[in-house]
Amino acid sequence: MTMLSRTFPAAVGYGLLLALLAVGSVLLGSSGIGAGEVLEGSAAMLGLSEPLERSTQAIVELRVWRALCTLGVGAALALSGGLIQGMFRNALASPSLIGVTGGASLGAAFAILIIGGYAPRLVLESSAGLDALLVPLFSFAMALGTTALVAWIASARGRASVTTLLLVGIAVNMCVAGAFAAIQYLTLEEWEVSRAILAWTFGTLDDRSGFHCLTVFAGLAVSALAVPFVARELDLLKGGEEDAEALGVDVAGTKRIALIAAALAASAAVAVAGQIAFVGLVVPHLLRLCGLHSYRQLLWHALPAGAAFLLGADVLQRWLFGAGALQPGVMMSVVGGPFFLFLLVRSRREVSTW
Amino acid sequence: MVNQLAARNVCFGYPDGPRVLHGVSLELARGELVSLVGPNGSGKSTLLRCMAGLAELDAGEVLLDGSPLRVGTPRERALNVAVVPQFLPSLFDVRVEDFVLGGRYARIDRWVGPGASDREAIEKALVACDVIECRGRAMSELSGGQRQRVVVARAVAQEAAVLLVDEPTTSLDPDHQVTIFELLARLACEGRIVLVVTHELNLAAQFSAAMAVLHEGRLVARGSVDALMRSEVLTPVYGERLHFGRMDDGRPFVVPRARLLRRPQG
Repeated sequence: MTMLSRTFPAAVGYGLLLALLAVGSVLLGSSGIGAGEVLEGSAAMLGLSEPLERSTQAIVELRVWRALCTLGVGAALALSGGLIQGMFRNALASPSLIGVTGGASLGAAFAILIIGGYAPRLVLESSAGLDALLVPLFSFAMALGTTALVAWIASARGRASVTTLLLVGIAVNMCVAGAFAAIQYLTLEEWEVSRAILAWTFGTLDDRSGFHCLTVFAGLAVSALAVPFVARELDLLKGGEEDAEALGVDVAGTKRIALIAAALAASAAVAVAGQIAFVGLVVPHLLRLCGLHSYRQLLWHALPAGAAFLLGADVLQRWLFGAGALQPGVMMSVVGGPFFLFLLVRSRREVSTW
Repeated sequence: MVNQLAARNVCFGYPDGPRVLHGVSLELARGELVSLVGPNGSGKSTLLRCMAGLAELDAGEVLLDGSPLRVGTPRERALNVAVVPQFLPSLFDVRVEDFVLGGRYARIDRWVGPGASDREAIEKALVACDVIECRGRAMSELSGGQRQRVVVARAVAQEAAVLLVDEPTTSLDPDHQVTIFELLARLACEGRIVLVVTHELNLAAQFSAAMAVLHEGRLVARGSVDALMRSEVLTPVYGERLHFGRMDDGRPFVVPRARLLRRPQG
């Protein structure tokens, strides 16, 4: 009962906020479609009314998928960020900073290469028909591989220090950038493949479909299942691994679950929207500023808060700049960089104790 | 009910380092406060880690009532053995009550959450350690003495039969040092097995049922306070600069003795 009475107001608040943002997102656009048409078109998607005229219906559907995908991507990135910060016991860690989203993007790029015909005949034949699944699968595999690599290198002596973590992140991101440059150079002639890969590095939410939506929410749902198994454990890990073990925490198991869940959430987001930086860093930070320090609260709040953050940012920039607005991935990099600097300045004393 | 924790011939070395413990055997019994003393670097904290089942031994074994401690999961171990660590990171954002709740981790069902028995145990532990008035405050707001008692309270709330305490009185004033040792002695009297690693020889002497002396990774003495607080035992371990004496009531004490520095004449 107390649990319900505590979570109910928050749930209602988040629900209203997300609904408001979703409506705003769907209504915004250049093609002069009115609110009534948007409503009818959305109802038609649910089978509640007759579809609109074909092109109008298509535009409404695109907008709805875009809004839903943005919600899912924001939630997935924020959850991934929360898990990674808990696992590395460091509030400056994030999926993009330590190279997880970079790895996932590289995976997506490989998948696009295969779909584009750049693979041995054997691979091409065996992957035919799997096209739609290739991007999410490769993203996840590469994200998991990158996270495991970072965790392995950075925690050589049991604890991942910030310095090591960031250096490993830089190294991984450099490798990814190198691989990307190579891939883009090789595909210069084939502008469609090249453009698709480039779009992934910017992070795009245009032209999303129901399948994208399904991908991100499926990944999100599975990784959220991990939360009850790691939240209390991550709280106890704040005192150090040995202290947590003495209290009864299965430290290795906790880190393994958190790692897989974080990689899954980040890769689900990347598979759908490409590289979108800083959501995973900023959202847990904002939640901490609101007084949510325990991972038992923070990880759950990260889901709606991350969704609201990314969709809110997307709506805001489209409202301010109109149709020619930046992609959310680009905008997040533009805004996120200074925010990260601000965090560093604010925690200068901590920095000096690294 | 747990009656005994025993280290048998424990050998341990850190990877890429020299061996720290060379075949240490130490038995701890229910109802006894045993103090483990020895110079810096003698391996006290390492022995405590080994006896808590937190380290993979090179040789030997640690037995809880005859069965090997490291066989079980961390959760099973935590039901029987509680550790008070010497250092904890700042934990600035954690509330005292939530911190002490950490001691209940092994007993709380993941899907049910803390229940009445957990709240009761936390309350009792906070009262026993005299920090009940701090329950709603953040760890960062506490004084050194309060903080140390809160860390002990977490181990008390764990309700384990064995309590292993690593240097609980560092950075505490004399009054608080006595408070902590009184608390540990009381916990032992209530039927726990208590091992305290400490540099406070005199507090150890006043509160312990027995003392053990570790020197260069070997247990060189174990026995009653009267048998151990002697020059023959402690001088070979700590060096010459100790003064041995007796208090009014005849209990032994030992203080470091400085050489008198004479100002050069003329």
